[in-house]
Amino acid sequence: MTTTALSVSGLTKRYGDRTAVDDLDIEVPSGVVAGFVGPNGAGKTTTMAMLLGLVRPTSGTGTVLGRSIAEPAAYLSEVGALIESPAFYPSLSGAENLRLLATVGGHDPTPIPSLLDRVGLLGRGDDRYRSYSLGMKQRLGIAAALLGDPALLVLDEPANGLDPQGVREMRALIGDLRGSGRTVLVSSHDLSELEQVCDWLVLIDTGRSLYQGPTSDLLDGDAHRLAIAASRPDDHRSLREVLVHHGHDVQLDGARLVVHTVGSEDVSALAAAVNQVAFGAGIVLVELSPQRSSLEDRYLTMVQGGAR
Amino acid sequence: MTRIIRAELLRLVRRRTILLVLAGSSLFATISTVTVLSSAATTDVASRREGATRAALEGPGGGTEAFAIGASFLGFLVFVTFIALLANELSGGTYRSLLLRHPHRLQVIVGKLAGILLVAAGAVAVAELATFALSLLVAPSQDIATSSWSSIDGISAGLRDYATVLGGVAGWAVFGTMLAVVFRSAPLALGVGFAWAGPFENIVVDSWSTGYRVFPGQVLASLIRGGTVELGIGRAVVTALLYSGVAAMVALVIVARRDVTA
Repeated sequence: MTTTALSVSGLTKRYGDRTAVDDLDIEVPSGVVAGFVGPNGAGKTTTMAMLLGLVRPTSGTGTVLGRSIAEPAAYLSEVGALIESPAFYPSLSGAENLRLLATVGGHDPTPIPSLLDRVGLLGRGDDRYRSYSLGMKQRLGIAAALLGDPALLVLDEPANGLDPQGVREMRALIGDLRGSGRTVLVSSHDLSELEQVCDWLVLIDTGRSLYQGPTSDLLDGDAHRLAIAASRPDDHRSLREVLVHHGHDVQLDGARLVVHTVGSEDVSALAAAVNQVAFGAGIVLVELSPQRSSLEDRYLTMVQGGAR
Repeated sequence: MTRIIRAELLRLVRRRTILLVLAGSSLFATISTVTVLSSAATTDVASRREGATRAALEGPGGGTEAFAIGASFLGFLVFVTFIALLANELSGGTYRSLLLRHPHRLQVIVGKLAGILLVAAGAVAVAELATFALSLLVAPSQDIATSSWSSIDGISAGLRDYATVLGGVAGWAVFGTMLAVVFRSAPLALGVGFAWAGPFENIVVDSWSTGYRVFPGQVLASLIRGGTVELGIGRAVVTALLYSGVAAMVALVIVARRDVTA
């Protein structure tokens, strides 16, 4: 079994003068839930469409499950996908739509009831698709992607249109999929959602790669802030003054103060120093917590900074 | 490709479709039979376009004469139906969903066309049988003899009518598929198809009779009628095959080369 679920090199797609994907290099290892992040128009859907054989690359190469993307028929039977919006036949029920797709793909239709159950549609499987809400359509799209127990799932904005409860359930579902050993490539605009569920991230902007690697590497390496709060809010002004006096970089952030590390200073050492200064000034701290940048913070920093 | 055909049949052969086919066939049989038998001409007519003669109705092929004449007006219905079915698949994303399961584009399109044509073949057979049965019931009231309808020649004529109607339906289906593939939008493809095969061809042939032999819609109509004065059945078959082949080629080249973005 290959250790790389998918990889592309120099992948480019141009539509006339517009470049949707620009010399993109990506590698996603097997068995991870990989978040595919980028703003609107970054090229996420186009990249996924090229991986799935729907769109032909202008140039570049790649492999999916060890097979060339030039021959999608060689691997698509092992790939489940939900790309763009879910599309089914409105006059058929959810279960009938799945049976139809199972027939087309040559898959065993026996697990369809369990798939419907897995996505929370068991009681609605016999209802016509046209009666489904947007969230139910998304769930049916996930169920369709799971037909044939694929080794790789490609999900394009799977939480699109779901209510908060639905988003949470979708997150749990994607988390479950990780446990089964398959690889999942999931794009989403909801960065907090990806942060919680993905162990691998691919960040792109304007068709180019900004970052790819473990989620922990992107987030853990950036704990350079300390949120602090005094027991009495009135003490914040004097606490800030005394910290600045001791050479710290301090900002007021709502009801808290945020102290930044300087240079290669360790955040734990900073915490000790700040606590000592506060203690010396007679101020009791009720919060002293290292602040890791959220995926959103890191992402925006990278996009705005044009990081490579 | 058989998986695509099976899936298409799974989608189409449903109680609702069957009821629609039965209702449509009954309506078609009633209108065709009553109209053709009650207006049978005692003198010769130029072609089936002008109706049937009593002599033709009392001949071996009389039992399916009403079917063949009535069917000549159904080509356009088949045309717009195929445009709507295929264009909606291409613009609504279900074609994309099928490709994700079966990434052979040409097989998907050809399989869908074949699946729908199989259903159409069944519907045409039901319509022909219904028309034959109703003609048998109505003929005595119009003093039309039916004794030769069940002869070998009568059955052959019925099969020939079935084949020409189905050939015409297949031709319209290919043209409808081509327009759906080219435009990928049901309203646009329907608009273009309707304008061409409806007003344009029929207005032009009124003043340019060569149009009966060269316009695709007129050629297919001649095929369904089993040949006309302007275009005999042999030439209608050859021309229809040629046109359908070109239309199929255009559709398949586009399908094979164009990105799937909907």
